[in-house]
Amino acid sequence: MAIDRRSLLLGTLAFVGAAPMRGALAMGASDIAYVSAARRADGSYTVLLLRADGSVLREVPLSGRGHDIAIHRPSNKVAVFARRPGAFAVAFDLATTRQPVVFTPGEGRHYFGHGSFSQDGRVLYASENDIESGDGVIGIYDVASGFKKIGEHPSYGTGPHEIMLLADGKTIAVGNGGLDTVPDAGRENLNVDTMEPSLAFVDRESGKLIAKHTMTGDLQSLSIRHVTQDATGLVWFGAQWEGSPSETPQLVGSAGVDRALKLIEPQAKGGSDLKGYIGAMAVSADGRYIAASAPKAGHVLYVDTTTATVVGQSNLKDVCGIAPEGQQDFAASSGFGVVRYETARASTITEHELQDISFDNHLRRVG
Amino acid sequence: MVHRVLLVGFSILALISQAAGVRANEPVSHAEMVKAAIEQHIIPHIDALKAAADPLPGAVENVCKSGSAESRQQLSQQFAKVVEAYAGIDFLRFGPMQEKGRREQISFWPDPRGFLGRQMRLILTAQDEAIAQPGALAKQSAAVQGLGALEYLIQDKDVPLGPDEAARYRCVVAKAIAGNIVRLVGEVSTGWEKPGGWADKMLHPGPENDTYKNESEAAVEVVKALIVGLSLTADLQIKPQIDPKIRLKPPYDKSGLQKPFYAASIASLHQLYNALQLESYLPPERRWMKDWVAGTWRALEASDGAGGHSSHVERDDSPTPREVFDRANGLRNMVSNRLSVAAKLTVGFNELDGD
Repeated sequence: MAIDRRSLLLGTLAFVGAAPMRGALAMGASDIAYVSAARRADGSYTVLLLRADGSVLREVPLSGRGHDIAIHRPSNKVAVFARRPGAFAVAFDLATTRQPVVFTPGEGRHYFGHGSFSQDGRVLYASENDIESGDGVIGIYDVASGFKKIGEHPSYGTGPHEIMLLADGKTIAVGNGGLDTVPDAGRENLNVDTMEPSLAFVDRESGKLIAKHTMTGDLQSLSIRHVTQDATGLVWFGAQWEGSPSETPQLVGSAGVDRALKLIEPQAKGGSDLKGYIGAMAVSADGRYIAASAPKAGHVLYVDTTTATVVGQSNLKDVCGIAPEGQQDFAASSGFGVVRYETARASTITEHELQDISFDNHLRRVG
Repeated sequence: MVHRVLLVGFSILALISQAAGVRANEPVSHAEMVKAAIEQHIIPHIDALKAAADPLPGAVENVCKSGSAESRQQLSQQFAKVVEAYAGIDFLRFGPMQEKGRREQISFWPDPRGFLGRQMRLILTAQDEAIAQPGALAKQSAAVQGLGALEYLIQDKDVPLGPDEAARYRCVVAKAIAGNIVRLVGEVSTGWEKPGGWADKMLHPGPENDTYKNESEAAVEVVKALIVGLSLTADLQIKPQIDPKIRLKPPYDKSGLQKPFYAASIASLHQLYNALQLESYLPPERRWMKDWVAGTWRALEASDGAGGHSSHVERDDSPTPREVFDRANGLRNMVSNRLSVAAKLTVGFNELDGD
């Protein structure tokens, strides 16, 4: 599919007048610990580059609300995607303050807010919607040519949300939420009663489907949205329940190429306590613990992957961003500007609050 | 039609104003907010929907028996009453409306992919009489269960509902849909009003309550509904008027109900806003917000929801659709970022809707 030059130009123009970078230019990339999209009190949107103490080192203004961030540490490349159903992405370099690059998914496409770099950093993948057909696609972008779109793979489902290149460097895990949306109808879900959520494994080079696990039966309304991978290679997902609130199942589970979907225990009440919604997933640096944030409930759930059981649950209002810290700890960010470090046993280590900042759904560790 | 909506609206507004007058300028508690929202807004609107829906099967039956112009007019009027009453609760997307997907089943809109039409054509082609069996329609797609599907049959000029053989099966389907709408609305009503129902759940929060642990959580739910309603109205009803690229049919436009739907949406949102009394928390230096909000409601009510001027409002000039859209968005931001914060009912940036 050819890139629509007009939409690319319009996307770029949207940033004319915005400061390319704000902040302490003397600081190097090594000082940056976390990256998150955010909203300022004046209603403007931005990407914040944070120090380990939670303070802002630099920021990149956005013309609309951002969502997740893909990072390629060896090359210091960062790409921030617009929130669904936005159609802009911004790439910049952690080590320099060069003008960010704005790119779009092209005519008839929009982003779902997530993407992932190839291990060599030469290619960026993004979850996208073919608006006309409603089919999910994985957009492919050439980093060296200024994030020019060079192709697409099918996502093998509707409404792909988070995509993640797995540790083998070959396989992309796709959380196909199953929900059909059209930008003309805002954020309305159009097919709740017929949705088919799935976790798909796609070969990043050929685009061929390696495996696909679909939610069926009583779990047909469990929309898989966010994914991460543990030390053993198992993929963990966090979901959003679109069915009756009184029937909410557990929202966190795991699967592999050769392993079917399995929800954690206990089943009963687990999902309703989380108000039916997991907003982000992260794995500890040692790969043992999974963190799943539930912003509507104001909880972070911690799961030991060796037993697939919950080992901790913390409370933080409107928490959503979650990222690893140290070997087994996590950093969590909230819509009220809080950055908190805590253990997988839900013990608070330290907490900072940024005034007039609302952190968006995802927090990413640099390095 | 619009006047009827407003009459109901003004009656409810008068009720709310009386209640508000008792304690003018004194911040209401979160528990009082919830109580007012339920007793003065939610339950009256659900009762109004039930009262409008109950005669619907009879009106369909009359058309299918006689096919007279009078029976057709009565059905159109009854259908309009149900649509307008539904517009008043479309944004209450929690509790009994959310349970079992009832909201989409009652009203499958927006439908930018034309799913409803395709599904209805399949049903009419199949001519399966089993659709008349109790519960059969409830197993079909949400698209064919409610008001949109009934409108499809009522407004089909090629094969109008009536006693003719050509319309026989269509009448079977129409009766099933009308009955299903009554069932769904009845379930919503019961879900809210039965002992131990959703109203009780919101009015009695606590550690043992599986949904609302305190009064503030219940109040936030209602404020979120108000924000959702303003968002839906701005994005789905007003925005298509200012962006020609948007391909989205207005709600129930085959029946000419775009304007009454908009009027009912705005009237209901205004009533809920008044019931909540969020402004009672504003400190004196922020009272300017009250004037801005009042001006915004006047602008929203001065629009007919289709790019024109409504005939029944205080404001004389016609706000442009752009102004109406900006005002609606501004009001949404005012409620979510200012008024709810002042009332210590902060709605989280990330919790408002999933992604």
